[in-house]
Amino acid sequence: MTTTAFRPAPPVRIRSALGLASLLGVLVAGAMALVWAPPDANQGEVQRIMYVHVPAAWTAYLAFGVVFLASLGWLWTRRPVFDAVAVASAEIGVLLTGLTLVAGSIWAKPTWGVWWTWEPRLITTAVMFVMYVGYLLLRSLSTDLAGRATRAAVIGIVAVVNVPIVHLSVEWMNAQHQLPSVLRPGGPALDERMLATLIVGTVAFTILYAWLMVERVALETARQDRLSDLAHGGPAR
Amino acid sequence: MSAARPQARRGGIGERRLLALTALAIAVAIGFVAYQNLGPSAVYYLTPTEAQQRRIAPGAAVRLGGQIEPGSLRYDPASRDLRFIIGDGITRTVVVGKGAPPALLREGAGAVVEGFFSTDGSFRATQVIAKHDEVYVPPAPSKTPPHRTP
Repeated sequence: MTTTAFRPAPPVRIRSALGLASLLGVLVAGAMALVWAPPDANQGEVQRIMYVHVPAAWTAYLAFGVVFLASLGWLWTRRPVFDAVAVASAEIGVLLTGLTLVAGSIWAKPTWGVWWTWEPRLITTAVMFVMYVGYLLLRSLSTDLAGRATRAAVIGIVAVVNVPIVHLSVEWMNAQHQLPSVLRPGGPALDERMLATLIVGTVAFTILYAWLMVERVALETARQDRLSDLAHGGPAR
Repeated sequence: MSAARPQARRGGIGERRLLALTALAIAVAIGFVAYQNLGPSAVYYLTPTEAQQRRIAPGAAVRLGGQIEPGSLRYDPASRDLRFIIGDGITRTVVVGKGAPPALLREGAGAVVEGFFSTDGSFRATQVIAKHDEVYVPPAPSKTPPHRTP
């Protein structure tokens, strides 16, 4: 009887470096957001929620883009590591989208006057959230690695269409949510210090994403090894 | 041990049905998104001009979006009567509501109001939301707009 060799965990050096970098990034971005960036002439201090809301949204887009690529990778190569990357990125993307919605709601109450309204940007973001939760639920229905990876990959490829729909929704239709402040013709409509803080915040969120990905993918590949050992008729030694 | 690799476990009929239902739910969600953005009747709000063109009947629930006309915003804390004029540069509509407006509601800035037209042509708002644009600038010392909250 053969046993599968244990796949080694990623080197502790890399994991610690990413973890430390994430912590530093969050601390620096937090300090810039709370202290260094100026308040808004219109909204005052509450506008600082933007430095959580926007980086979370952008990093969620990145995460779902990675799900798309990893899903393609699985269908193309059938290598389980692509499936591991897809599920890890989808989980983090769902968390980040949830954070975007919560931070946005907290921001909306003192500025717009309501916690929620059924307007295009909010609806499409909520749909994106639900769709990727559905992706994760679909995966949990089966332990057949190849079958579930293929089913999930199809969803992972289709669901990425949410990302441009969410972003362009405010441009296509009359909406409550304002137009993009950065990705717009004519350039960013932000004070320089606000833009710098936003960029640093986005970098911090991306490093955090990368760290969570390394840990989660390692966990998933270990689980894959375990499941495939069980399917082969015995535990790995 | 057996040299042949055993079949991976397959789900039963119940699991397959759940799978199909989940796939269906996802398809419905996708369809909903598509309809939201491609359906011609899918609007979040109408401008006062659009509301006039579509001849929105009194009593029909609708949202209006536009700018608050400078000089028109009135709120009486005693009676909680709110009144302002919303416009889009072409059409002006009087809006009447009850209750304190959101802190960011101010003249010259945007608003979205939910409610219905009354027979006299004014709009009875059941909800008033302030709408701001995408520009963020720090306050200039002599020019900070008046905030309703400190």
